[in-house]
Amino acid sequence: MANKGKQKIAVAKVGEIAVGDRKLVDVDGKSIGIFNVHGDHVAVLNVCPHQLAPICLGRVAGTTFASTPGEPLKWGRDGEILACPWHGWEFDLKTGEALADKRGLRKYPVTVEGERVYIEV
Amino acid sequence: MGDTLPMIDTDIHPVMNGAHMQACLPEPWRSRWASGSRGPGHLGYWNPNGVMRSDTKLADGSKVEQAAENLSKHFMDKYEFSYGILNPAGALHVGLSPDPDYAAAVCSAGNQVVAEDWLKADSRYRASIVVSPQDPHLAAEEIHRCADNSGFVQVLMPSGQRMPYGQRFFYPIYEAAVVHDLPVAIHPGSEGVGVSGTPTAAGYPTTYFEWHTGLVGSYLAHLASLVCEGVFVKFPTLKFVLVEGGVAWLPPIMWRFDKNWKALRQTTPWLEKPPSAYIAEHIRVTTQPIEEPENMKHLHAMLEMFPADKMLMFSTDFPHWDGDTPDYVARSIPKSLQSRVMYDTAAELYKLPEAIDGE
Repeated sequence: MANKGKQKIAVAKVGEIAVGDRKLVDVDGKSIGIFNVHGDHVAVLNVCPHQLAPICLGRVAGTTFASTPGEPLKWGRDGEILACPWHGWEFDLKTGEALADKRGLRKYPVTVEGERVYIEV
Repeated sequence: MGDTLPMIDTDIHPVMNGAHMQACLPEPWRSRWASGSRGPGHLGYWNPNGVMRSDTKLADGSKVEQAAENLSKHFMDKYEFSYGILNPAGALHVGLSPDPDYAAAVCSAGNQVVAEDWLKADSRYRASIVVSPQDPHLAAEEIHRCADNSGFVQVLMPSGQRMPYGQRFFYPIYEAAVVHDLPVAIHPGSEGVGVSGTPTAAGYPTTYFEWHTGLVGSYLAHLASLVCEGVFVKFPTLKFVLVEGGVAWLPPIMWRFDKNWKALRQTTPWLEKPPSAYIAEHIRVTTQPIEEPENMKHLHAMLEMFPADKMLMFSTDFPHWDGDTPDYVARSIPKSLQSRVMYDTAAELYKLPEAIDGE
């Protein structure tokens, strides 16, 4: 299955998606979200692995770091955490991993060539 | 999904039009509502995701749940529901207001708006008569007033309360409900609000996370009260629906209940059957939020431990943050339960037509 049938598709111009912003594209009937995370583009299938919600409509924000009970909460990773609009499951946009579940996001490789952002689907 | 399995959603939350609500309120409550002092509000526990789903906004800026035609088009049609039970949640919280007259007036206005804006809009909708239990006689009057409209199929009260629902104080509500053969339901969200008791028996939790997890305790207390006080002996035709209270806690509580009955039945001599028998006959529970153990066979095992085929009804809780989709729930339960849970039990309870075979 490796690379069989994979195609490279231009999904955005460089600069089109602002840092912290996103664009939804349709690729062969698949809805895919292209996020700009601190200048890097990330492509994610618009389906939450939990109940199949349109995950890419969720908020992108930071989150709390592990801390000691009774001590002030520590906040960070702004712009890197995607939360599902249904049940609030948080996902690390950089790795696709969920912060509190084994199931992760379906990600697609992204390349930038010249003025265009491509994904491999 | 939907092509062969007919479905009834037993817990949908439409949002009433505030201006219409205001117009339906008599003075001085209309002025109170207009001033923005609408009720006891909520405890202020913070859900970082919001309680209402964030992805229901339409192109015109309104949300799916704010208009009957949009809910029909973007929700009922999308999932192919045969029927949906509307449980307006806003007035539920107002039911915990310390002022019983104001609370009753808001419930009444809400029921009028449901009848005019929602029940008339789509023949798939049925609705609950929302009542404020703070004055059970006013609640009974409201039930009698609404019951002529066959679109109302249930009485709905908040599960947050200042005393357990089996107590005699609430009997006028149950008397009115059985006169019209309507089930009575409770819905969570107001635990700790207004004149309600603390959200847990141990006191006030700190976070929304903790509060939400502990809601089961409120349901457990009401269930034990309803059975022990003999509500189902006094009102043998009454059905009571525990909406959104969880499912998997039920079997162990039934075991504990039956064991205690053998030793302590002389304090409730009207109970001539084990408590689990009253529960099976009179209690209905809704699926959402369905428990999600890592091994779903464990959930299946729990569903074998009580009469889920007679007691369990599907619900989405749309558009709240912790809702379930029908395909997810249908996949989560054994195939043998699907038609009962997704349609039949609710159809029997709410007197809706038998399922038409989708084949």
